[in-house]
Amino acid sequence: MSKYFYIALTSIRSKLAYVGEIGSKTIFLFVILYIFLCLWKVTYTETNQNALGGLTLNQMLWYLVVTESMILSLPPIATVVDQDVRTGSLATQLVRPLSYPLSVFANTTGERCLSFAINFFAGSLIACLFVGMPDLQLHNIPMFLLLLPLSFALDFSIYFLIGLSAFWLEDTTGITLIYSRLTMILGGMLIPLELFPDSWQQILRVLPFSAIVYGPARTFVTGDFHLFFYLIAQQLVAIFIFAFLIHVVYTTALKRVFSHGG
Amino acid sequence: MNMLSSYMKLAAAYTSINFKSLLAYRGAFISQMVAMFINDSVWIAFWCLFFTRFPVVKGWGVNDVITLWAIAASGFGLAHVFMGNALALPGIIMRGELDSWLLYPRAVLPHLLLGKSSASAWGDALFGVVVYLLFVKPDLPHFILFLLLICSVAVLFIGFSVFTGSLAFFFGSAESVSVQLRFALITFSTYPSPIFQGFVKVLLFTLIPAMFVSHLPVSALRNMSLVDAAYSFAGAIGVLAMGVATFYFGLRRYESGNLMEMRG
Amino acid sequence: MENAVSVNQLVKNFVLKKREGMRWTSSETTAVDGITLSIEKGQSVAFIGPNGAGKSTTIKMLTGILHPTSGDATVLGCIPWKERTRLARRIGVVFGQRSQLWYHLPPRDTFELLSKIYEIEREVFQTRRDMLIERFQLGEFLDTPVRKLSLGQRMRAEVACSLLHGPEVIFLDEPTIGLDVIARQELRDLISEWNRENGVTVFLTSHDAGDIQHVAKRVIVINHGKVVLDDRVSRVRRQYLREKVLSVKYADTPQSIELVGVKTLIESGHAFKFEVDTLAVPIERVMSEIMRAGSVVDITIEDPPLEEVIAHIYSTPPESDEEEGEEETDV
Repeated sequence: MSKYFYIALTSIRSKLAYVGEIGSKTIFLFVILYIFLCLWKVTYTETNQNALGGLTLNQMLWYLVVTESMILSLPPIATVVDQDVRTGSLATQLVRPLSYPLSVFANTTGERCLSFAINFFAGSLIACLFVGMPDLQLHNIPMFLLLLPLSFALDFSIYFLIGLSAFWLEDTTGITLIYSRLTMILGGMLIPLELFPDSWQQILRVLPFSAIVYGPARTFVTGDFHLFFYLIAQQLVAIFIFAFLIHVVYTTALKRVFSHGG
Repeated sequence: MNMLSSYMKLAAAYTSINFKSLLAYRGAFISQMVAMFINDSVWIAFWCLFFTRFPVVKGWGVNDVITLWAIAASGFGLAHVFMGNALALPGIIMRGELDSWLLYPRAVLPHLLLGKSSASAWGDALFGVVVYLLFVKPDLPHFILFLLLICSVAVLFIGFSVFTGSLAFFFGSAESVSVQLRFALITFSTYPSPIFQGFVKVLLFTLIPAMFVSHLPVSALRNMSLVDAAYSFAGAIGVLAMGVATFYFGLRRYESGNLMEMRG
Repeated sequence: MENAVSVNQLVKNFVLKKREGMRWTSSETTAVDGITLSIEKGQSVAFIGPNGAGKSTTIKMLTGILHPTSGDATVLGCIPWKERTRLARRIGVVFGQRSQLWYHLPPRDTFELLSKIYEIEREVFQTRRDMLIERFQLGEFLDTPVRKLSLGQRMRAEVACSLLHGPEVIFLDEPTIGLDVIARQELRDLISEWNRENGVTVFLTSHDAGDIQHVAKRVIVINHGKVVLDDRVSRVRRQYLREKVLSVKYADTPQSIELVGVKTLIESGHAFKFEVDTLAVPIERVMSEIMRAGSVVDITIEDPPLEEVIAHIYSTPPESDEEEGEEETDV
């Protein structure tokens, strides 16, 4: 296990060199969060409500900070796997005493954690500036911190699967794009699920998208225990399912590698 | 007028060869167009959801926002279908590729702008028109005004890209600055204008001229107001003038060879 | 008759700004330090010099891309940096790194585009294009995407592009760089042919001594921004370009080679480096001697590097007119 941790650490260290990126990320987040603030401020005022979808304006903005930080931290997992498949470097990695999926996971998750931390830090400063400190309860934080890695793992497993489809498909960028956009919309990145039409909400809560983005973000601002336990269960089940799928697809793909000579 | 027709013919020649060049990789061309369609659709979906829950925001309804997106997308798309190099300007300046363009018997700026067509821009251009026709279902006068307004917005986007790109004549990190400024312009342009007040509103009429994309054109279409349309055009021309002036000012510096900059 | 190119005391200084931490320091460097030359119409001139000598800077000023710090120049009666677009119609340019050809399309499409850029009359364009296709033998790949062409084919098409609008002067900057021996010779032949038969003035810069001998009649050597030599190729060849360097590797120890005009530069085991004075002994003779001396595993024939030639020029003054006798015909 420790070697995977080391891989993650190395990945983080190399990223720290990109300090300049922090500046541009911050400007990017500033623009988006400011615009969201304007939009929701106006909406709250016009509807004369204190809370929309169970969130106050303060909570709404902090919700968006979390969702944006998560989405922006996404490393190019599917692209990496796709390239490894196509260039054959996946085959060469097979001779190493490391599990390929786990090493990609360690690598990209290290990257993602660092990216998230940077985004979240920048976003937090901006949100404090706009609406002040988040009005959350202390127990929200550990709950959130528990859900976050599970959410990353789930997101990873789906992207990994998409990348693996490079064994059979000519181009995986289309699927990657569609999946990422579905996550944005159905995952509640731009608007929390509670504000979707009622008829949709049932389905949306079951789909993995909400477990990835909406779940952790909502927990961060409202710390709902009910939701928390539901999410843990949902994420674990989903991870299990996707991990199983990866296992099946991966071994099938490997057979292909070996029969074709790599 | 002779010069205008000469450059129109040049534009036609470049559009034809650019299109041919994109078709050489048909699959990639189509997938980039589709990708942009999907991208843009996500935002339409978002607004539909939002306005289902909150039907009117500061006098704007779902039709207004869709109109806005249609104008912004098609305007942006049109600009970079014909003048795709506007996006690549900082790189062209920094890599010394300007020299190539200076060797032709043509005015540098329009010629180089025509040199490339952005594949994804075709997706944006198409998207806006399709969405406007499908969702807003305009009558003929509105549609004609819409077409004129996307031309105005296209001029504005080109002007802004040229302005930010020309900053590369003056400092080295202009490429990332121009990416961010363009991002800011596009983002501010795709939200209902009334949500911005005060100082920001002034900013959006000047440094980041998003109001000439969101506020004035949508208002012109809502009320069939030719006055608002005229203001949109005026703003677009203003931004273009700014861009062109900055470019030629920087070009003078470039031609005297004082663009050399080394990091010690 | 007006000159094709007239340059008088052209100077170009650059201000280099270096950033060290937080401070900026600036220093001035002189790339071109008072060049004076003139080229008659129809001449073919090689403009050579080592890297950093000021060749590219000079060409940029002559084509209107750069403004000089001081001095004058006219090309075909136009001041390049003041009448850029007017001059651009009458000159052709081939820069090694710059490709006019659209990468994913066949050369034919680029030709069409160029006819629109230069606003060439349709019939004139078609006639000239067809002539270029025939002379440059572009027919076989005219409809093949440029990315599929060999470098040699691409350069032939590039040079053809630069001639499409019927320029009176062409500037070629390192056109043969990266080409193999055959492609290089082909290109050189085409350029000199175009110069002879169409009277197009050729201004060629190169790093390659071979380009000088086969394309140009006149050579101008530039170093440190100054003209170091300006003379006929025939004379320069006789004095400075007569040597060839042969590197030979034998399977076993060869017999010794004693020939007038052959100097052994390096001897290391079975590997030898000879310097041959081609005016004292023909290369053919040397080759057969080398083959006779033992079993040859590998052999390379090269021109001495240009830096050496220029160093030689510095140390040896140019000969006077009386010695020219033998060399009226050029290869």
